[in-house]
Amino acid sequence: MMDQARRPLLRYHELEKRFSGDLLFEIPEFSLHGGDCIVLSGRNGTGKTTLLKILAGLIAPDKGWVECGGKRYSWPKAKDHCRRNVIYLHQQPYMFDRSVAANIDFGMRLAGVPAPARRRRTDEVLAWGGLEYLAGRNARVLSCGEKQRVALARAKVLSPKALLLDEPTASMDKEACEKAYFLIKRLQSEGIAIVIAAHEPQAIRRIANRLLQLDAGKLIDQTVLKVSDHDDAPRECFRE
Amino acid sequence: MNTLAQTTENALILLFTGDPELWNIIAISFSVSLRAMLFATPVALVLAFLLAYGRIPGRRIVISIMHTLLAIPPVVVGLTVYLFLSRNGPLGDLRLLFTQTAMIIGQMVLCIPILLAMGHAAFQGADRRAWETALTLGAAPWRAMFTVMHEVRFGLLAAIVAAFGRIITEVGSSMMVGGNILHYTRNIPTAIALETSKGEFAQGIALGIVLLLLAMILNFALTVVQGKGVITA
Repeated sequence: MMDQARRPLLRYHELEKRFSGDLLFEIPEFSLHGGDCIVLSGRNGTGKTTLLKILAGLIAPDKGWVECGGKRYSWPKAKDHCRRNVIYLHQQPYMFDRSVAANIDFGMRLAGVPAPARRRRTDEVLAWGGLEYLAGRNARVLSCGEKQRVALARAKVLSPKALLLDEPTASMDKEACEKAYFLIKRLQSEGIAIVIAAHEPQAIRRIANRLLQLDAGKLIDQTVLKVSDHDDAPRECFRE
Repeated sequence: MNTLAQTTENALILLFTGDPELWNIIAISFSVSLRAMLFATPVALVLAFLLAYGRIPGRRIVISIMHTLLAIPPVVVGLTVYLFLSRNGPLGDLRLLFTQTAMIIGQMVLCIPILLAMGHAAFQGADRRAWETALTLGAAPWRAMFTVMHEVRFGLLAAIVAAFGRIITEVGSSMMVGGNILHYTRNIPTAIALETSKGEFAQGIALGIVLLLLAMILNFALTVVQGKGVITA
């Protein structure tokens, strides 16, 4: 029997996407487990962003179905389950033309959370992201790093099962990258599955436990399970 | 004939002494045009959104037709609506000709292309990430649509002001389908046309002042609102 802890949150089957008849990718199976941190690498144009948007239910694949909670859903029904459980963050997260606090409040308001609970949760998440000093500022004027942290806080407040990050540290300086990685690592430790699409995966390998490469329409797992020389515990590392 | 100064003075007296006939015409004008906007705006803006974001077959044809209708003369709209509502027309049994409802229909036909064209341009200029972000944060498609509308609110407001400006000042359609009936379908533009033809310039100028003031207030309000839209830290 499958270990409860390793039962996938979502399992995608037979995903296929074409553009103008040309195959972009074909993925027989892809699973998201709680606490996973998957780095998805690949050259420009291989379909990383498209794949993430399909996983998040934002665009439909040409073929494919999703397994969630032991049930099987095909598109378009599957997209509702994806959207309910997965949050996608753009390379440069979109900030609504309102304050940082109102941006964080956005999803909770949609979910019908009562106002006092929303305020409390917003304050908690602002503190979690070290964003208290930005609470009243218009989110549009923030730096890339600050926007990324607000986007992570805005996602965290909704307690998603999985978070998909598209090149999260592109156009960020080293310090901003460190802050973003720190928050991503915290989200992972809370049991949220993280998928990070990265053009240059070297920098984020240290926080990842799986490395996948999208190449020529195929998803190649580059994770290798090794047994350490010093102890018998298996650990995951990556092919160079 | 009175001099222009005397006529203007008389017009201001009519306006500020609360001449009942004059203010009745102003009230009819606003009542008809505001109702036309109220009915047309939601339909036009949702359609504009669908044209920008949806996969509607024949979308380009619809957009081309709407752009063509931007230039349609009000009198042609009036003629078309007249033919539809006249006794022998397809909607003749409804007996709507020479009523405020007929005027509203005519004004809706005039303002929908403006709302659609300008609304569509505003939605096309919007960042698609707004739509996707709203969806991924749990918004149903209709809520995500309102979120995008909020993001492009200044463009949509400009469309609404432009459309209202067009219908409150149009004379051709209102004259033809409304019939210019005193205390019922006589609005500001039709009254100006009538009073001018009678040589009664005072009331015409007074009503003209109202239209000018309205245009000024609307544009000033739009500038103020858009000014607030400037991003400040």
